[in-house]
Order: sequence, then C-alpha cells, then structure tokens
Amino acid sequence: MGIKSFSRVRAIHVMLVYTGGCNGCDIEIVNSILSPRFDAEQYNVYLTWNPREADVLVVTGPVTHLNRKPLEEIYNAIPNPKLVVAAGSCALMGGVYKNCYGDIPSEEIEGPVENIIPVDAKVPGCAVRPQDVLAGVVSLLPILLDAD
Amino acid sequence: MDEKVPRSNIIETEIPMGTVHPAALEPYRVRFFVEDEIVQEAEITIGVNHRGIERIMEGLPVEKANSLTEKICGICSNSHIWNSCRTAEMGLGIEIPERALYIRVIMGELERLHSHFLYLAHGCEVLSHETFSMRVFYLREIVMELLAMIGGNRVQYGCSVLGGVRPRCDLDEAKLLRLKNDMDAIEEGLTGFVERFTADSIVMSRITGIGVLPQKQAIELAVTGPTLRATGVARDLRTTMFEYDNFDFNVVTQPDGDVKSNLVMRALESFESIKIIRQAIANIPEGKVVNRDWEMFDTDIIESYIEVPRGTLYHSYALESGRVRHCIIRTPSMANIGAMQYACIGDQITDAQLCIVQCDPCFTCTDRAIEIIRR
Repeated sequence: MGIKSFSRVRAIHVMLVYTGGCNGCDIEIVNSILSPRFDAEQYNVYLTWNPREADVLVVTGPVTHLNRKPLEEIYNAIPNPKLVVAAGSCALMGGVYKNCYGDIPSEEIEGPVENIIPVDAKVPGCAVRPQDVLAGVVSLLPILLDAD
Repeated sequence: MDEKVPRSNIIETEIPMGTVHPAALEPYRVRFFVEDEIVQEAEITIGVNHRGIERIMEGLPVEKANSLTEKICGICSNSHIWNSCRTAEMGLGIEIPERALYIRVIMGELERLHSHFLYLAHGCEVLSHETFSMRVFYLREIVMELLAMIGGNRVQYGCSVLGGVRPRCDLDEAKLLRLKNDMDAIEEGLTGFVERFTADSIVMSRITGIGVLPQKQAIELAVTGPTLRATGVARDLRTTMFEYDNFDFNVVTQPDGDVKSNLVMRALESFESIKIIRQAIANIPEGKVVNRDWEMFDTDIIESYIEVPRGTLYHSYALESGRVRHCIIRTPSMANIGAMQYACIGDQITDAQLCIVQCDPCFTCTDRAIEIIRR
C-alpha cells in the first residue's frame, strides 16, 4: 500500500448524483452519511459535492435523457481511481420507469446506469436502506486500497 | 413590503445554476439576473426529471396505478397513494372503515413530521449551521423508524389500499404504545430545538427579512400549503377533509413570509401534527381496517384534493373497466415555483439558494407535469 492509498482510505469522499428518481433513495443516502444515526463519517466516509475531490460516485435514479450528459461529465471530472455505486432499483434496472411506454422503446429513460458509466457495486432496494448503502460503499474500500 | 416588482428592462449579468449543482440536491436549472449582487429576476426551469408517471398509469388496473403513484415522490409518497386511493373510493362510493381512516391520518401526520423535519434540517444546512441540522436529522430518524414500524419500509410504505389500509399496517397495542412514547420523545426534542433556535440571535438576524414573499403576491401566484400560511393566510385543506372531522387542531400562520416565518411555521405545525397523532392514538376505534365489499364500475373523471406536507395535492382520473384513464396529477411544488422565483427578488445572490429552499421545493414531484398543446 502506497502512501497515497494509505491517506485515501482515511478520507473516502462520496459524491451523490441524482438522475431523476423519486428522491427517496437520494434522501436516504444523504441521511446515511450525514445523519447522526448512521453516521458514515465514523468510517472515514465523507459527503462532498465536488467531483474533483470525490473517490466514490453514488448514482441514483433511472438516468433521464436530459441527465445523461451531466452524469458523463461528472464521471469524467472525477480523478482516478474512481468507483461507482449504483443505488436503488431505478439505477440498477430502470425501476418502474424503464418500460413507461410499453413495447415502444422509451426515449425518456437512458438507464440503467450501467449503460452509461461502468458500475462497480450495486445496492438494491426501493428505496435503498442506509445500512445497505454503507455496506456497498465499504465493500469497495479494498479496491481503493489496492489502487496504487 | 407590499409588492415586489420584477424589472422589465434588460439585465445583463446572468448567473446560471444547474442543472446539477452542488448547492441543490435535485437537478433543476435556475437563472439569476443580477445587478450589483442583488437578484433582480429569477427563472426556474424544470423538466430534467420528467419520467411520465401519468403515461405509465394510463391503462393500468387501478390497484396497480395506486401503488405506482408512490413512486412520484420519495418524500411525500404516502400522500400520493392516499389521494389516489381516495379518488377511486370517491368515484366508486367505497365505504372506508373508521379505523382505517384513523391509521391513514396517523400515517399522513407522521409524514408531515418527517417532511417538516427534513425541511428544517435542510434549511439549517443551507444556513451552514450544521449543529442544528444534525439535531433535526436525529429527531427525524425517530419518525422514520416509526414509519418503518407501521409500513415495513423507511420510504415507500404503501399504507393505503382501495377500501382502507393494508392489514400489515394495522396498529396493535404494542405499536400504539411505542407511537405514544415516541411522540413524547419527539415533542421534547423539538421543544428543545425550537427554544434554542429562536433564542439564537445570530441565526435569527441571518434569516429575518430574507426572501420575503408578500401576502398579496402569494395569493396571486396561487401558492399553497405552508408557504402560503407563512405569509399570514390561514388556508389549510385539512379543515375541510372528512378524515380530520374528529380531530381538533389549529391552523398555524406566521405573518412575514420570510425565511424565519417559514422555518418557525414548520416547527409550530409539527407540534400540531403531534397533537393530532396523540388524539388518534387515544380515540382509535376497533374494527376492520379494510373494506373488501365493493364493486367496480365505469366512472366519469373523479377529482380529489388533499392537504399534503407541502400544500395541495390534486389527483384525477376516470375508471374504465377497472383501468385508469385520463390521469392528471398536480403537486404542490408546481404552484410554489412562482413563489420561489419571487422570493429571490431583491436579495443578495448568496441568499438566493436559501430563498428557493424556504419554499420547500420538490422538483421530482413536479417534473411529471405535462403541458397539453392544442393545435
């Protein structure tokens, strides 16, 4: 483990991107990291809104058409090594919105997130439970440790 | 201040925000037109989150469509399923057991508590006062546990079904006792928070007179819910809903329409919610929780309005051989977008985000709106 990895695992910065779900997962994730009950900060996981200092990108929502480009831009702005967690059933498979026009392919929903950016961990649930989000983020820590 | 007038001449400096911006949780786009750091005009554009729930609901069996309405919003999910069930129940003339109405009211008020606590916590966070924010988040966690206890999930509980509530959501003695004890805990915590918050002269001077929405303009813009009540208009649909006939509560108003009025009003309204839940626990009648004895028939377009944590929610659809047709949903934030734009005018650009947050935005709800253009 290099000095960079050594320091990095002591301050994992999570960035949350919200791509058009129902807000439920979103608040649960902010809650799981910020709120005093679950308090991810005790595991050295911090919430940031700046992609340039983020290590882990948590994506929620089915990625609506207008959100595709911002998501790609945010992903590209994160420095390597970067990891992506897709949280919630919308991010994993499009959720209830994926087949909104029945047999006609939907132009509205671009998701799941896998179609757009590579995903390292998947957290299921509608809405995701804070415990699961923490487990998902913590399960990625070995990858960050071995990065350089 | 009687009225704020947006400028009609051309303003050259524009500060755009969004669609994905660190200061705003949800994706939306705001354009601030500024002169010397004073916002002269603001314009909010939504549409990024559009997923077309109404289109998905069209043609689904009404039971399925009801549970789908929950996915409109993760904050006020119970209000949507409640109002959607209520719409069908009104059209089909379904009689709802008294006990189910009480449980629906308890869920509705718990949701109001969690929505208002989220508002207070988010508001304090935008104020950069993290201690207050954490304090309210901790209180909110008690409410979330209660919601999980009753509905089985922390966010989307799926409490209401056609004819009552799910049998899973029935309240036994142990659950009622826990509800009662937790109400005491919440009241104690909230009282402590409000006393500390209103006594803090730094915070008070920071939020007094910021983001004023004058009463006259609030009425003109058809603003609903707590944002309207914070300008001094005592208008609450709960006073007209038959579910709340047996409950005694006050409609809280605040005079000024600024950030302080909004924050204080939410806190005071939470006490009223606690009062309603206590009355419901004390008087909850025995009996069935769901009435399965009803028939499906075709109806005209049915409309239903209820008061949800953020304002007035409107659902309407017709039933055709058990399926949903002509569905329209209007969420409170749709009306409050006008309020957000007006509240920013005349304030510093640094306070603009606070002015938007004070109107309790939920753009996820709102982005299902469809404009029908007749050619």
